Amino acid sequence: MNRAMYAAASGMAAQQQNLEIIADNLANADVAGFKSAAASFADVNAGGTFGLGTESLGKHALFVQGKLEKSGGPFDLAIDGAGFFCVEKDGQFAYTRAGSFSRSPDGSVRNADGWRLRGVRIPADALRVDVGGDGRVFVDRPGATHVAAGRIDLASFLAPEHLRALSGTLFTASPQSGAPQIFHPGDGAKTTLAFGMLEKSNVSIVESMMAIMTAQRAYEANAKGVQAADEMLRIANNLHRS
Amino acid sequence: MASAMRAARSQLDVATQNLANVSSDGFRRLTTTLDLDARGMRVHQSTSAEQGAIRRTNRPLDLAILGAGTFRVGGEATRNGAFVRDRDGFLADDRGRRLAGRCGPIRFPDGASVAPDGSVQTAAGRFIDRIPLPPGTRIETGALETSNVNAISESLNVLEAQRSFETAQKVLLAIDDTRNKAANDVGRIQ
Repeated sequence: MNRAMYAAASGMAAQQQNLEIIADNLANADVAGFKSAAASFADVNAGGTFGLGTESLGKHALFVQGKLEKSGGPFDLAIDGAGFFCVEKDGQFAYTRAGSFSRSPDGSVRNADGWRLRGVRIPADALRVDVGGDGRVFVDRPGATHVAAGRIDLASFLAPEHLRALSGTLFTASPQSGAPQIFHPGDGAKTTLAFGMLEKSNVSIVESMMAIMTAQRAYEANAKGVQAADEMLRIANNLHRS
Repeated sequence: MASAMRAARSQLDVATQNLANVSSDGFRRLTTTLDLDARGMRVHQSTSAEQGAIRRTNRPLDLAILGAGTFRVGGEATRNGAFVRDRDGFLADDRGRRLAGRCGPIRFPDGASVAPDGSVQTAAGRFIDRIPLPPGTRIETGALETSNVNAISESLNVLEAQRSFETAQKVLLAIDDTRNKAANDVGRIQ
């Protein structure tokens, strides 16, 4: 009886976690570069004993390409293919696919949270900036056009799913993800950069709504399981009549 | 009748276990059959071999088995085909267990792909390894096999188990009444 109750309760906990993750995905559906997350579940198997319910195998980000969209930002970049921008703040390195950067007075290129894009420095007197698909940055300065101003490198990981999430869009390397491998976009790599574009989140609203409905019903069904187990205990107790 | 109550309890165990795993990809539901022998009612459990629905994920390393067969991960068999590459380039599941090919874990280089027959090839088409599968089974990439639990029928099973338990209890009480009468009323001297 208790086994049934605990199995049903584990199902309720799983669906609750599922709902939390879907809600988080939906909340970030409009955040550029956001990667939707998913939890995976599996049945608990303890040495052949069945019926111990379900357990979460953890939450991981799904690195499926989001749609690229033209944007109006001054230094917007989108990655078309695999890879991450390398950003740095206070000596800490992180990796992101959110490419909404802007120029700082000190010449660096930073995102809204102050993370600096590595590998590029824009002179203060630059009039126009252009980034090629291969990551090379060129600027037009007074008296000189098409001056090289660095190259944006990307990082790839053998196991990006094991990156540690600092936020929905920012990740750091973990022992399981392996070390970052720095590569040039273009140059035979399948990945290219698109300047003046942003990668939209890869959250599908329709799929998320469907998932919410399924999770909610599954939660209810498991709650009924708990109730049934409880009811059986009551009936068993009624075997002893005074 | 006590065995009937025990049987109903096992049925509830199975139904709640199935319900709890309605979101576990690759999970195969347990089914119960009842039979009656000299020692009373007994419940037999077996695992359903029914194909679960295929959910498209578009992640290249999500593999769904269409047909019989299982993936071998770390000495265990599973139908859950959500794999990722680990830091050493091997295919591994969410628990970090590596997917076995014909001889040892499968190393998965950049740009490699899994063909419908289970063979793993590099981007240039060179054969690396094969996921061992019985003949006639296909692998679909970019999709996952969902749990084959049917929430509606499991909810009915929960209800049914509860009612059988209740019925068995009522019958047990009736038997108890009869015995009570036999012991206390039949032999009473007026």
